[in-house]
Amino acid sequence: MPDIHHPGRRSVLAAATAGAASLGASWLLTGCTGASAAPALPTDAKGGTPDRGGTLRIARPPASDAETLDPASALSAYEYLGALYNRLVRVGANGGLVPDLAESWEPDAKARTWTFRIRTGVTFHDGRKLTSADAAYTLRHILAKETASPQAAVLAPLIDPGKLRTPDARTLVVPLKTPNAEFPSLLTHYNCYVIPDGSARGIGRTGIGTGPFKLESFTPAGPGRITAYEEHWGGRPVLDAIDFYSVADMSARSNALLAGQVDLLSQTNLDFATARVVAASDRATIARVENAQWYVLPMLTTEKPFTDVRVRQAMKLAYDPEHVVKVALQGAGTAGWDNPVPPSDPAHITAHPEHDPEQARHLLKKAGHEGLTVDLYTSSYDPVFTPMALAYQDSARRAGIRIRVKTASADSYYTQIWMKKPLMATYWYTGRPVDQLFTQVFRSGSSYNETAWSDKKFDALLDRARQETDDERRRELYGEAQTFVVEKGGAMTPMFADRLVGISRKVRGYAEHGFEFDYLGIGLKGA
Amino acid sequence: MFSFVARRAGAAIGTLFLSSVLVFLAVQALPGDVATQVLGKDATPDAVSALREKLKLDQPAWERYIDWIGGALHGDFGLSLVSGKAVGGEVGLYLGNSALIALVTVLFAVTGSIVLGILAGLYRDRWPDHLISTVSLIGMSVPEFVVATVLVLCFSVALPWFPAVVLYGPEASVGQLMPAVWLPALALAVVMAAYIVRMARTSVIDVMASEYVTTARLKGLSTWRVVTQHALPSALLPTLHVIALNVAWLAGGVAVVENVFNYPGIGKLMLASVQNRDLPVIQAIALISAVVYVVCNLAADLGAMALNPKLRTRGRTR
Repeated sequence: MPDIHHPGRRSVLAAATAGAASLGASWLLTGCTGASAAPALPTDAKGGTPDRGGTLRIARPPASDAETLDPASALSAYEYLGALYNRLVRVGANGGLVPDLAESWEPDAKARTWTFRIRTGVTFHDGRKLTSADAAYTLRHILAKETASPQAAVLAPLIDPGKLRTPDARTLVVPLKTPNAEFPSLLTHYNCYVIPDGSARGIGRTGIGTGPFKLESFTPAGPGRITAYEEHWGGRPVLDAIDFYSVADMSARSNALLAGQVDLLSQTNLDFATARVVAASDRATIARVENAQWYVLPMLTTEKPFTDVRVRQAMKLAYDPEHVVKVALQGAGTAGWDNPVPPSDPAHITAHPEHDPEQARHLLKKAGHEGLTVDLYTSSYDPVFTPMALAYQDSARRAGIRIRVKTASADSYYTQIWMKKPLMATYWYTGRPVDQLFTQVFRSGSSYNETAWSDKKFDALLDRARQETDDERRRELYGEAQTFVVEKGGAMTPMFADRLVGISRKVRGYAEHGFEFDYLGIGLKGA
Repeated sequence: MFSFVARRAGAAIGTLFLSSVLVFLAVQALPGDVATQVLGKDATPDAVSALREKLKLDQPAWERYIDWIGGALHGDFGLSLVSGKAVGGEVGLYLGNSALIALVTVLFAVTGSIVLGILAGLYRDRWPDHLISTVSLIGMSVPEFVVATVLVLCFSVALPWFPAVVLYGPEASVGQLMPAVWLPALALAVVMAAYIVRMARTSVIDVMASEYVTTARLKGLSTWRVVTQHALPSALLPTLHVIALNVAWLAGGVAVVENVFNYPGIGKLMLASVQNRDLPVIQAIALISAVVYVVCNLAADLGAMALNPKLRTRGRTR
């Protein structure tokens, strides 16, 4: 699962073999082609328009043997969702909200009640017409206790499922418990795909939605196939079908691409060695999703010495994010300067404190932690973790901070280390609207608050922001929230990294940002 | 002879009991909370505690052990925590796929390496021996995933003769799996063969230096007949044990290779189950591996007895 660190999602078992695989691969390919220097990574995938038709083969990491097509579930098979279903709203390429099944939406004057106008002429794959009742049912399904949806924790404080109203087939009225000017952005989450009214029992197997593809077959943690839905409201997709294969091991996935068995590796941020090999192959290449990965070094604010805000500030001032980007990402990303809001977000502010090891040293001395020594945990879960930890260690040394980098087992990393050890490496997908980001990861007591940071003033600031109906003013408040997190919070954000996605050279029209994947436009050349 | 068989069988059963206890304890000691790992990071605390209760994680370990071993004796390994299916059937499905690889591997490795080992032994200290010994030493030293990866790069990527990975699930038919069996089997055979080659070479050298071979030669028999009729059976004897151990290793040791090839076999199931902390599945696989190990060893001992006239007749002469 891209945004949550789902142990089952990404194969970690053979992360150890991945290194060897890429080594072997580069050796072999240089041996074969006689190329002396590693080829540079392409900045863009092949442009041009795809031919109509064809079958795209996607290799994906399975979530678990208990995978389901129920979008609201924690174990949903993520890659199928965007192809089978639609949400009410989605995130556009510029980071703003754009219509999906809702044509328009507006709040009342206080942003307390939201009214959504549902698109007409939309049919589900079984031929039923989409109405506002389906949208209301979807929200109730997410909130229902037995669904155990991760998104319920976000929506439950806002929505009373009994109060949802559908005055006519086109209109959905959502009264909120507290005013929230950013409410629609919470519905862009991939747990919020719209399912037909009353389908909760079967949806995990049937996958009936309004999306551009309809389900032909699905096996949990196994292969599956979806075919073009001719009556899709947004027009027919370019492809005839998509075959999904589940390949748990990362090096096995890239081997499948190199051997021409699949056309696209989903949810795989290739390490640089493998990426170079893929880019050098005549079958495959690399597409970059700019700033798609948000890397964090969270400090647990409930554990010493990070309970002291001066220590946290020192940890941030001590290192140079530009150095980390250069070393850990080989330049393929943007320095984060400890601001978790990605540069592509309209609310992003660019102001940040300068790298200042002297000031860091000074702060540590004042806090009584001169010559601080701390353990930084990492694992092979993601190829960037360890280089990032080592680059931080190297950079922070100038401020007299000694970092001991400890490597933990990858398969229990997110149950044993994450949110348990005072300092560790982690990452998220970007593409979360700013209010959702702050609410899920930084607000007191929220379930993914990985620094256990709790600041009443910050929470109040968030409340003010989401109640503010003036867009300009609201953006200012979210700017203040960013400054707040940079100065007081526990999360170090060294960088946003480009995701390196392996695709076949035949793929055309590939477009992905955040959690949005363009299933309509993607196709193949010479299909 | 009967008492020998009985003694060996008794020891095997004891070993199995001991390994079942060790397997159980080792699985209990896995880091990571089972319920959280099974339900995923997003699970609500309610769901986690409900699952802990359902798994009887609140009961003492020895009670859970008795429950488990009692079921296992009846062939009931419980239900998978992740898929909810019966563990026995699921493990059987994957085991069948692995058996396909194992069969091909054993055919490759045993025939190939015995021939090579005999050649090396017969040409002792000449170039065929040096070549075979060096190559087998390399095969022994290189980990199987490296061999597997190099094979993939050569025979799937550079020369597209075989599939690099298996895209089918565990229900795939033998026909669907067949094209994908050769590379994993070859990778395993390379690693496995090295030991057998060296063992066969040493035995051939020993046997060829023995008095009865000299006698046979003096009788004027051709080298070919000396080797096939006199030297070979004796040389095979010590090799048998190495083969048995390697077959046992196959049952458990394919994990890494299956992962590289995404092959839906027992090794891949084991890795996935460890990752998901699917305890009943891990325990069942570990126990079955133990059974295979013990049975292979037993078979080797009994086979050795059958082949060795001295051992076979000892009971009678006394």
